[in-house]
Amino acid sequence: MEDYEVQFVDRSERSARFVVRPITPAFANGIRRAMIADVPTFSIDTVRFIENSSVMFDEQIGLRLGLVPLTTPPGEFERGDEVTLSLDVEGPETAYSGDLVSSDELVQPADENIPIIDLKEEQRLELEADAVLDVGKEHAKHQGGVAVSYRHLQAVEVVGDAGEFDDEEPEILRGVIEEQAADAAVETGGYEPENGQLVPTEAFEHDLTNRYPGKDVEVTDIDGAFVFDVETDGSFSVDELVVEAIGTIEDRATELKESIQL
Amino acid sequence: MSYKCSRCKRDVTLDEYGGVRCPYCGHRVLLKERSRDIKEVNVE
Repeated sequence: MEDYEVQFVDRSERSARFVVRPITPAFANGIRRAMIADVPTFSIDTVRFIENSSVMFDEQIGLRLGLVPLTTPPGEFERGDEVTLSLDVEGPETAYSGDLVSSDELVQPADENIPIIDLKEEQRLELEADAVLDVGKEHAKHQGGVAVSYRHLQAVEVVGDAGEFDDEEPEILRGVIEEQAADAAVETGGYEPENGQLVPTEAFEHDLTNRYPGKDVEVTDIDGAFVFDVETDGSFSVDELVVEAIGTIEDRATELKESIQL
Repeated sequence: MSYKCSRCKRDVTLDEYGGVRCPYCGHRVLLKERSRDIKEVNVE
């Protein structure tokens, strides 16, 4: 088992940005794909309509219900498990995801303010729904990681001074840089120039001339260092998503290893 | 078959002799009500 270094640039409940190294591009992409497709989340799969006098068809409302993220504590359930939820709203009122009543307190709508349908006078929506635990590979409604991406960590090298009469054009860069030329840098966005520090490009408004004024710079990718941007739909925290995703890769690797040792 | 008269809003049951007509007010426009059965829908 290799050791990996993980440094967080940003970290909150539902989104995070971190650097992992050393990993290959293939492994980085494997992690990304596992976060999107292999971490199971609960999602409504069948709906029984008792009354629907709203202006939308049962199927349309069913589709909307399927897209409501439900909290899925890792390790508590197995793939295929079902939880029943119910909804009963009478107009004039808007039915929100928060009106869903779950039979299991662990599985609740992740957000309470997702509108399902606006009901007018004399309209009523009453239904019972079964949520099932499945993976994003099966259907996009089961995706826990919704905005998952990665890119190389970048290094900025100062190669000289900008010419005295050069046009002052912005040098746009997006992502995260590792400070390697602290002497030439100025403090921006609260990031003091210090070698080895990770600086998101937001700190200098994505413009390198703000960070290194009057300098000529060159940007290079750092081999084996990847910056991940991860966001979840609220089914679980980012930490749980990443750990579960890595777990699925490990499970598959173990399975492969065992199946080829005849 | 149960219908609802669009003028007097009363429930109407049609038989094979009466034709399409509300027995209470004589109106000829009847509306088919949604079934009270529970409908199961798969979310796809």
